Amino acid sequence: MNKEYILGVFNDEESLIEAFGKVKEKGVMPVEVFTPYPIHEILEGMGNKTKITHAAFFYGLFATIGILGFLTFAASYSWPLNYGGKPFNAFPSFIIVTIVAAILSITLLTLFTFSARAKIFPGKKPKIFHERATDDKFVMVLDKESMGSENEAIQSIIKEFGEIE
Amino acid sequence: MYNSEVRGRLIEGDKSLGQISREIIAPIHAKTPIWWYGALLVSLGMFGFGLYCKYITVTTGIGTWGVNNSVAWGWAIINFVWWIGIGHAGTAFSIFLLILRQKWRTAINRAAEAMTVVAVFCASLFPLLHMGRPWLFFYIFPYPNTRGPLWVNFNSPLFWDFVAISAYLLISASFWYFGMVPDFATIRDTAKSKIKKAVYGFFAFGWTGSSREWLRFEGLSFVLGGIAAVLVVSVHSIVSTDFAVSVKPGWHTTIFPPYFVVGAIFSGFAMVLTLVITMRVLYKMNDFITDSHIDAVCRVLVFISLIMGTAYMTEIFMAWYSGSEYETYLFFHTRIFGEYAPQFWAMFIANAIVPQLFWFKKMRRNMWVVFIVSIIINIGMWFERFNIVVTSLSRDYLPSSWASYSPTWVEVGFFIGTLGMFIAGVLLFFRFIPMIAISELKSVAKFDKPHNHVKHTGHE
Repeated sequence: MNKEYILGVFNDEESLIEAFGKVKEKGVMPVEVFTPYPIHEILEGMGNKTKITHAAFFYGLFATIGILGFLTFAASYSWPLNYGGKPFNAFPSFIIVTIVAAILSITLLTLFTFSARAKIFPGKKPKIFHERATDDKFVMVLDKESMGSENEAIQSIIKEFGEIE
Repeated sequence: MYNSEVRGRLIEGDKSLGQISREIIAPIHAKTPIWWYGALLVSLGMFGFGLYCKYITVTTGIGTWGVNNSVAWGWAIINFVWWIGIGHAGTAFSIFLLILRQKWRTAINRAAEAMTVVAVFCASLFPLLHMGRPWLFFYIFPYPNTRGPLWVNFNSPLFWDFVAISAYLLISASFWYFGMVPDFATIRDTAKSKIKKAVYGFFAFGWTGSSREWLRFEGLSFVLGGIAAVLVVSVHSIVSTDFAVSVKPGWHTTIFPPYFVVGAIFSGFAMVLTLVITMRVLYKMNDFITDSHIDAVCRVLVFISLIMGTAYMTEIFMAWYSGSEYETYLFFHTRIFGEYAPQFWAMFIANAIVPQLFWFKKMRRNMWVVFIVSIIINIGMWFERFNIVVTSLSRDYLPSSWASYSPTWVEVGFFIGTLGMFIAGVLLFFRFIPMIAISELKSVAKFDKPHNHVKHTGHE
């Protein structure tokens, strides 16, 4: 894994977006882009998609069924108790707990999914290309090999908007 | 589309992105000021006194409190609802303003969320100790046990409340924490000391700011924001059912859930004001939390204050209009003109009348006025809970069971203990955590640039 990388370092969002667009026009895809805050053009342009919202929906669906099922089972089958003559299966009063506990399940499961998919977890050693990418620089990482013959053209694009490091 | 012009500038002083990081992180790298140690000592003293009162409560029993057979809920439940209400603002602030695309939230949401986590923690202590035998607390979990299995009563609002509060604590804490991960990474990458690099590096969970991370981070915020909005409304509605599901005069009303939710947001926003004005004074955050930020919160408060006033008047009107003599007696002979009139009027004046000062721009721009009014609202909201909890219990249907209530020093001490815990939590937050969401603030910084020629990127 001794690849050679070129770092395009930009001072602001606009320069990064323009350079990113031009680099892509040359048919080269940056390996990764590091920014201090999310920039939608880059997130879309990098071509990655996240299904975290779909996952959350299914977590919610299964959590709702599971919790409602459990409440019904516990209150009407496992050990029914008569609370002031109310029916054992007091469905309307189960709704509140179902909503809140489902929200809790969605949150926790989505967090774990995020942690697993984005690889953000305690004890992880970050691979830092540029120390100021979390501060005030916008960094585009390019693989030298993949650029091939476009190497010089791309270097000049980067120099037009930012610096090469 | 309207933009930041309506609100004034989001960040004063034309700062570069690097400056934003440096200035917000500065208190973490700076030497700890003497006043901080002093304040921490005082708050820990209060906390210690609270621990002593808890010790007395547990070893001797609830008999050390002023509660009796009729007024079985006293300061403990008042303070529980008060803290939960304050704890409401953090998530309400982040979520509702996020949904409404209010960019000015970025300077305040971190502090509001920190406040939420500490306040909910303070709140949860009260029902725990009120159980009398807190070591049997786990009985409330619906787990397969050797007593039957005897499940808990799923029809009881007290159980709903338990589920809601635990969920709220966990969710607001994780929402807060994951929002901080990119900022911890900024501290890791800018810190000079090795210890700081290691500690904040650990808490940053290996964040680098890559597009893959941001993409999923955005997805996560979207999901959490969407469902937490439901939670904010449901938690305090559930707290209100602790009262509304009973048949006591003054409690058994349909107005309670919205009344509680709005009241909670009211007290929480007031506490946010108290907190951010303190931040401005102690840490010179005026460039980030500008006068127009304070102004915006004040305008929200004046609106909510009107809703509170309307709710109070509605309750009184319905007591009279319903023709129920119990309701009429409670409102007119116990609350407005009776034994608890001072508490009723304290509530009414502090919540419905004093905040009307915020109609005047001059008042909204005077930090002393804003600070004092925010404290008055917090006191007023405490009296509101006193009114709800104590008056209804002390005058119910049977005159033979009427009773008065006043707290003992143990209950007061318990409350002082939670105040100490809250202040200590806030001080630790000031010292070790970036007080303002750095990455979010950077993302809105471009909207302040001269001439506003910046292309909108669709990201708020």
